[in-house]
Amino acid sequence: MSLEVLAYPFLFLAIFFESFLLVTLLSAPARKARGRAPHGALEETPSIAVIVPCYNEEETITATCESLLALEYPTDKLEVILVDDGSTDGTAAAIAQFAGHPQVRIISKENGGKHTALNAGIASTSAEFIGCLDADSFVEPDALHEIVPCFADARVAAVTAAMSVHRPKNLIEHMQNAEYIFGIAYRHAFASINGLYVTPGPFSFYRRSTVLALGGFRFGHQTEDMEMALRIQQAGYGIENAPRARVYTKAPSTVATLVKQRTRWTTGFLRNIFGEYRGLIGNREHGVLGVLVLPAALLSVGSGILLFLYMLYELIRNSLIALDIREGIPLSYIFTPHGSFDWFYMPTNLFMLLSVLTLLASLLFIVVGKRISKTPGRLALGFISYTFLYGFISPLWLLRATADVTFSKSRGWR
Amino acid sequence: MSLVVRNALIALLITIALAGTVAFAINYLNRARIAELSTVEDQLSIDILSLDTQFSLLEAAPCDSSASSTTLTSELANMGDRLSYAEGQLGSDNAQVIRLKEQYSLLEIRDYLITKQLSAACGGTKPATVLYFYSNAGDCADCDKAGYALSYLRTTYPSLRVYSFDYNLDLGALKTFIAISKVEQRLPAFVINNKHFYGFTSLEDLEKQFPKGALATTTNP
Repeated sequence: MSLEVLAYPFLFLAIFFESFLLVTLLSAPARKARGRAPHGALEETPSIAVIVPCYNEEETITATCESLLALEYPTDKLEVILVDDGSTDGTAAAIAQFAGHPQVRIISKENGGKHTALNAGIASTSAEFIGCLDADSFVEPDALHEIVPCFADARVAAVTAAMSVHRPKNLIEHMQNAEYIFGIAYRHAFASINGLYVTPGPFSFYRRSTVLALGGFRFGHQTEDMEMALRIQQAGYGIENAPRARVYTKAPSTVATLVKQRTRWTTGFLRNIFGEYRGLIGNREHGVLGVLVLPAALLSVGSGILLFLYMLYELIRNSLIALDIREGIPLSYIFTPHGSFDWFYMPTNLFMLLSVLTLLASLLFIVVGKRISKTPGRLALGFISYTFLYGFISPLWLLRATADVTFSKSRGWR
Repeated sequence: MSLVVRNALIALLITIALAGTVAFAINYLNRARIAELSTVEDQLSIDILSLDTQFSLLEAAPCDSSASSTTLTSELANMGDRLSYAEGQLGSDNAQVIRLKEQYSLLEIRDYLITKQLSAACGGTKPATVLYFYSNAGDCADCDKAGYALSYLRTTYPSLRVYSFDYNLDLGALKTFIAISKVEQRLPAFVINNKHFYGFTSLEDLEKQFPKGALATTTNP
């Protein structure tokens, strides 16, 4: 039996998942969410505090804070809390320039990790809703008008925003931008059926009373945002999404830093999901999250590795065969194209065509994500890099994270 | 029925429809390939029969005929490439592929015989001819290398005539041809201008088997 046959179930499941995403996007709850009017829904303008945990963020914290202060929201209802988590660079000096600002509160503490910085911020405010913003992210002025109405339902404990990459420059950043915009469509669809398990660092909001009731943020295997989201879901609350609340974040610009970041995310996911939140997997009480989303996320880790290893095996095997066959033949003949554009020679392999179908669906969702969120910028480079790079780079962090979890290896944040 | 279950069922139907469409498209293209091969083969068959008949009609002065099998040999080679690709797509045990290979082998034998007759009757420079016997049954480790080397030779020396035969093809005419040519089952096997050569080590060794001057870079007039 060809190894290729083993890949078919994974490809079939990938197409099923994308079909489910499409159908959910077209369903009534998602349509209703898209039609949600900004500003409205809540009787009173709630108080909001946005916490910015900072650890060595001297380069970006000023712009981040300025973008928060430019938010269209009553100034007496919006507070910005800058938490310097024991930075060793010029972060303290950078945030000191906001010391006299009436909306800004500055907290300095010893380094204890992002979750401790968030908890310090929460403890210092009595705002109804708490927002978190990574110190390398920037928000659109109207973002809060999109987010606040999502809390109209008392069952909603958290709201996520529409995240994309801030001014992508190289192909690695464009690739992540495409992936993030795919994530906008994904989050919008799955939030409509309460299937989210991450409230990302860039501009996710929480109902303060719920966060306190759940015991505040935890270390969460270096993924405090995911751990909090899983805890919210486990407690039976809902996580909403505001697809037009745009936030832009800095993304790793090299393969090495990207792999390091994603290894942390993936190990965090695996450790959380195989640890305290194991009970959510397959649990029908937690609806689509337990029955479909978490099993699919786990499967995507396994299938990503297996498909990559299979493609690597085929690539090496075919290369060796090709080299062996061509041994002794002049290079001028080998490198001269001998095929033709005749339809007769069009490759029609089931594995290849199903893979292309999966990729095309992903590209479609990137377009959908961009349209729903009205994210500015062009996607051409994002499409190219996502198509040709993502499949080769993502298995690196999947393999590394799986190995780290298997051998209980810990790595630093950066 | 909950919204999630309904969506999951619709998604499942879409998935089945998409996978089915892909499978159908592959099947459709493969059938179209077979149909095209069949059409080309029919045309070649007519052309060769026409040449054969023309040769018989002009038996008294065959060399006066403008008929030549050179063009047909080139088309046969093109046909061989297509058949080889189709075999890779559909598998060497596919019944339609086997039938087409049988027809193709018959055409090759006829073309070979006519070329040989023309050469004997009209004299002149004998074209370098290679009969190449291979196997897809897994008992010929060097057949892929030999096939690629012959493709290179055929492209580089257009006057070279290469006739490829699947040694294990169950076809009476081919078996007789193998018996008459006295080709042993030591594959890959070559008959280069009636001289037998077995196995493949390198392109250089294969080239040495050709008579001096047989590999010319110009085409026959």
